[in-house]
Amino acid sequence: MAAPDDARMDLPQGTLDLLILKVIGLGPLHGYAIAQRLEQISRGVVDVPQGSLYPALHRLENRGLLEAEWKDSETGRQAKFYRLTRRGRTQLEAETASWKRLADAVGLILRATPEEAR
Amino acid sequence: MSWWRRLGDRGRLERELSAELADHIERHVADLVAAGVGESEARRRARLALGGVEQVKEACRDERGTRWLEDFSSDLRYAGRGLRQRPAFAAVAVLSLALGIGANTALFSIVDSLMRRSLPVREPERLVLLEGEWTNPIWEQIRDRQHELFDGAVAWSGADFDLAAGGEEKPVNGLFVSGSFFEVLGVPARLGRTILPQDDRRHSGTEGLVAVLSDGFWKRHYGGDPGVVGRTLHLNRAAFMIVGVAPPGFVGPEVGESFDVAVPIAAYPILQPPLDGLDDRNFWWLEVVGRRKPGQTLAGVTDALRAVQAPIRAATLPPRQTAEQLAGYLREPFQVIPAAAGTSVLRDRYRRPLFTILAVAFLVLLVACANVANLQLARGNERQHEFRLRLALGASRWRVARQLLTESILIAGLGAILGLAFALWGSRLLVRNFSSSGTLALDLPVDAGVLLFTGAVAVLTALLFGTLPACRAGRSDAEGAWREPARGAAGGSVGASNALIVVQVAISLVLLVAAGLFLRTLAAITNRELGFRSEGVLVVKLYAWQSGIALDQFVPLADRIRASVVELPGVASAGLSDVTPISGSSWREEFEIPGTGRGREQAFVHIVTRGWLSVYGTPLLAGRDILDSDHAESRPVALINRAFARTFFGDKDPLGQTIRTTGIYLAPMEVVGVVEDAVYRDLREDHAPTIYVPFAQGMKNVTAPQASLSIRAAAGPPSRLTSAVVAAIARIDPRVTLRCRTLSDQIDAALVRERLVAMLSGFFGALALMLAAIGLYGVTSHAVARRRGEIGVRMALGADAPRVVRMVLGRVLGFVLLGVLAGSAVSAWASRFVTSLLYGLEPGDPLTIAGAASLLFAITLLAAYLPARRAARIDPAKVLRES
Repeated sequence: MAAPDDARMDLPQGTLDLLILKVIGLGPLHGYAIAQRLEQISRGVVDVPQGSLYPALHRLENRGLLEAEWKDSETGRQAKFYRLTRRGRTQLEAETASWKRLADAVGLILRATPEEAR
Repeated sequence: MSWWRRLGDRGRLERELSAELADHIERHVADLVAAGVGESEARRRARLALGGVEQVKEACRDERGTRWLEDFSSDLRYAGRGLRQRPAFAAVAVLSLALGIGANTALFSIVDSLMRRSLPVREPERLVLLEGEWTNPIWEQIRDRQHELFDGAVAWSGADFDLAAGGEEKPVNGLFVSGSFFEVLGVPARLGRTILPQDDRRHSGTEGLVAVLSDGFWKRHYGGDPGVVGRTLHLNRAAFMIVGVAPPGFVGPEVGESFDVAVPIAAYPILQPPLDGLDDRNFWWLEVVGRRKPGQTLAGVTDALRAVQAPIRAATLPPRQTAEQLAGYLREPFQVIPAAAGTSVLRDRYRRPLFTILAVAFLVLLVACANVANLQLARGNERQHEFRLRLALGASRWRVARQLLTESILIAGLGAILGLAFALWGSRLLVRNFSSSGTLALDLPVDAGVLLFTGAVAVLTALLFGTLPACRAGRSDAEGAWREPARGAAGGSVGASNALIVVQVAISLVLLVAAGLFLRTLAAITNRELGFRSEGVLVVKLYAWQSGIALDQFVPLADRIRASVVELPGVASAGLSDVTPISGSSWREEFEIPGTGRGREQAFVHIVTRGWLSVYGTPLLAGRDILDSDHAESRPVALINRAFARTFFGDKDPLGQTIRTTGIYLAPMEVVGVVEDAVYRDLREDHAPTIYVPFAQGMKNVTAPQASLSIRAAAGPPSRLTSAVVAAIARIDPRVTLRCRTLSDQIDAALVRERLVAMLSGFFGALALMLAAIGLYGVTSHAVARRRGEIGVRMALGADAPRVVRMVLGRVLGFVLLGVLAGSAVSAWASRFVTSLLYGLEPGDPLTIAGAASLLFAITLLAAYLPARRAARIDPAKVLRES
C-alpha cells in the first residue's frame, strides 16, 4: 500500500546506487521495470525520483558494475535491459554488508537508554 | 567502456538514450491507460514523473565523463563564431600573439640547436671534451694511451682548403681528423668508407692521401654521384683520393660549422706546407674529445688523465719558453667537460646576445598578452549582458568562465600556429644574418622539442591573458540579467584594465630602452673615428705557401704585384701589409725602449709598404713615411702612432729613438715618423700603441709567405676592380692564391653581432610600441563608450570639446605616466645585464631612457587622443534621449 505523499522520505545520499544494484541483482530488468520494482519494494515509503534513476544507471554502467543489452521485452518492443556484472555483484555484497553494519550501529545508538549513555 | 570510446560513439549513445527514455515513457503511459487514465493525461503524468526528458538526458550525458570535451568543442565553435563576428579584434589579438610566440619559438629553436641538441653520433652523452686546444705531440701522447684512458679518443681541427689551382680561391671548409675519428664517434660512411687509423700516418697512409666528403658537399659539388669514390680531389693543389661520403646529418663536431672535406691530421704538412703542425710543440690547434667507458664518471676520466699528465707534459715540453712558463706548462691540470652537444665557438660568442634577445622576445610576448587581456576585458564588459543571461538560465560561474577561457585558448592556438610559421621563416633569416660569410650551418628542424615549447608558450599565454577576463565573467551578477545591457557595466574591470595599461607601458618602455641602447651602440661603433677611410678599399689576400713559393721569393714577388696593380686604371694607390685592420688577425709584440727605464710593454705591429698609409688615408704627423729605400738590408726603421708616442715618449721627441722588441722577429728599430691613431683589431677597442715596420724588413723572419694588398679605387665601388686585379696578378704569377673582399665588407663582418642585436631589439621595440598604442586606443575607446552617458550630461551642462578631451585623456595618461616611471626604473636597473653588449654609452644612459619615454608617451597620447576626440563629438541631446 502506498504511503500518503507527505509521509514519503527522500533517499539518503548514495543509497540509490545500492538499491539499483540490489533490484537488478534479482534478475535483468529495463529502466521502467527498475523504477516500478523500487516503488513496489519500498512500498512507496521511499521516494525514488525517476529523473535520477537513469543518470544513476548510466553511472553504474560506465563504472562497469552493470552491463546493458537491447533485447525484446514482454511487450514485444525492444528495451535496454541492465544486468549485474561480476564486479557489480561484488560491489553489491560489499555495500550491503557495510550498510547493515551502519544500520546496526545507528540502531544501537538510537536504542540507547540514559543509563547506558552514562 | 573507456571514455574516449564513449566520445567516439557519441551518436549511437545519443540515439540509445533517446530510445531508452521514450521506452520508459511509453511503458508508463501504457500502465496509466490500463489503470483508466485518459491517453493525453497519462502522457502528461508520465513526463512529469520522469522530470523532463531533456534534463534527464543532460544528467546522463554528464555521467559519460566526456562532458568537458564535448563542452570544449562546442565552446570552441562558439568562440570561433564570436571571432568571425569581430574580425578586427581577432586579427589584432591573433597577430600580436603570433609575433610574440613566433619570436620566442624562433629564438628557442636557435638556442636549442646551438646550446642543447646532441651531436648525431653514437651515444653522444658519453663524449667528453678535453678543455683547451692542444698540440699534435700532446694529442699523439693521448692517442697512444686512449684505450687505458677512454673508450677511444679523437682529435680534429677546422681549416680552409682551396679547390683552385691558383688565382682567386675556391674555398671549402676542411676538417683535419684523427684516424679513428669516425669510428670512435660512431659515424658510418654512407658511401665507400670513412677515414681509418691506417690513413692517419705521417708521409701518407697505406692508400696515399685520402679524403671523405660530407653529404652536403657530395650533393652540391658532385650532384650526389655514387661513382665519386676513387676519384681525385685537389686540395691546396695536392691530389687526394675520395674514399667515401659521410652520412647525411653529420656536419662535423662543431656546432654552427659544417665541413665539406675531411682529411687525416697527418696530411697537415702537405696542405699547410710552411707550418709544422705535426711536431711543433708550440702550435695549439687540435680539439680533443674522448668517449667515456661505460660506467666511467666525468671525475673518473679527469682522474685517469691527471694520472698520466706528468709523463705527457714532460714528453711535449714546448721550446723557446722561460723556466717560469715551462713550470706553468707542467702544472696546468687537464680538465674535461661533457661534450654531448659538440663544441662551439659560436655558443660562447652568441650566448649573451641570444639570451638577451630571448628575454626581449619574452617581454614582447608579455606585452602582447597584456594587450589581448585588455581587449578581452573590454569585450567582456560588452558581453556582461550575455554572461548574466547564461547565469540566470542556470549556467554555473565556472561554466561561463570556461567559455571565456576556451576563447582565449582558441586565440592563443591560432596565434601559436601562425607564430610557428613566423618562427620557421624568422629563425632561418636570423641564422643567415648571424653569419656574414654564409657558412653558419645550424640545423633548425621543427622537432618535438620546438613543438612542445610552442605549445607550452601558447597555453601559458592563454592563461596569462585569459584568466583575468574569465574570472571577471564568472563573477558577473545574474540579478542584472533582465536590466538594460549598457547600464550594467561592471566598474571592477576598469581597475584591472588600468593596471594592465601600467604593466604594458612599463614593459614596452623597457623594450624601447633596450632598442635605443643597442641602436645607439651600433651607431657609436659605426660612426667612431677609425683613423682611416674604410670606403673605396679592396683588400686582396695573397697566399703563396700552397704553391711552394719560398718566403725570400715571395717578398719581391708581392712587391712586383703591388707595382703592377698600382698601374691599373681606376687604382689610386696600393700597399702591402701582413694584416689589415679589423680582419680578425693581429700581431702583438713585446718591446722595450732602451734608456727610458720602463719595463716590457706591448704594442700592435703593422708590416706595411710604401703607399699603405695613403691607401688608408692615415695622416703622417711627423717625420717621414716608409720609403722604397727601406729594404731588407737597410737600417731597420719604424713609424709609431700617436698613442705610442704619447704613452712611451710623453713630451719627448720620439723621432730618432730606438725600439727593441723582445721577440725574434724584429731587429731594434729607429723611429722615423709618427702617424695618426687608427683602429687596429677591434672596433670596440681604444686606440692602442702601434708600430709600423717596413714590409721588406718585417717579412724577413715571419713564417708564412702571405700578405694583404690593399687597393684604393680612384672612384666608385672598389669591388669593380676585382677582375682586373685578379687578371693582373695571374699575369705575374698564376700560382698565387687570392681572396678578395672590400674593406667595408670586412668591417661589416666584424659588426654582425652588434647589427643583429640592434636590428632585433629595434624590431621588437617597434612592435612593443605598436602594441602599446593599440592597447591604449582600445582601453580609451572602451572607457569613452562606457562613460557616454556621463560625457553627454557634462556636455549638456556646458562642458566644451577641449574640456571633454582633457577629461578623457587625463584619466588614461595618469596610468601611462605611472607605467613610464616604472619602466624607466626597471630599464635603469635591467640594462646593467647587457653592459658588455654596449659601446660608447653607460647601461642606464639617461638620454636613451628619456628619449624612449618621450617617444612612448607621445605615441600613447596620440592613441588615446583619437577616441577622446570622438568623445568630444558626442551629441548630448541624443545621449540624453537614449537614457
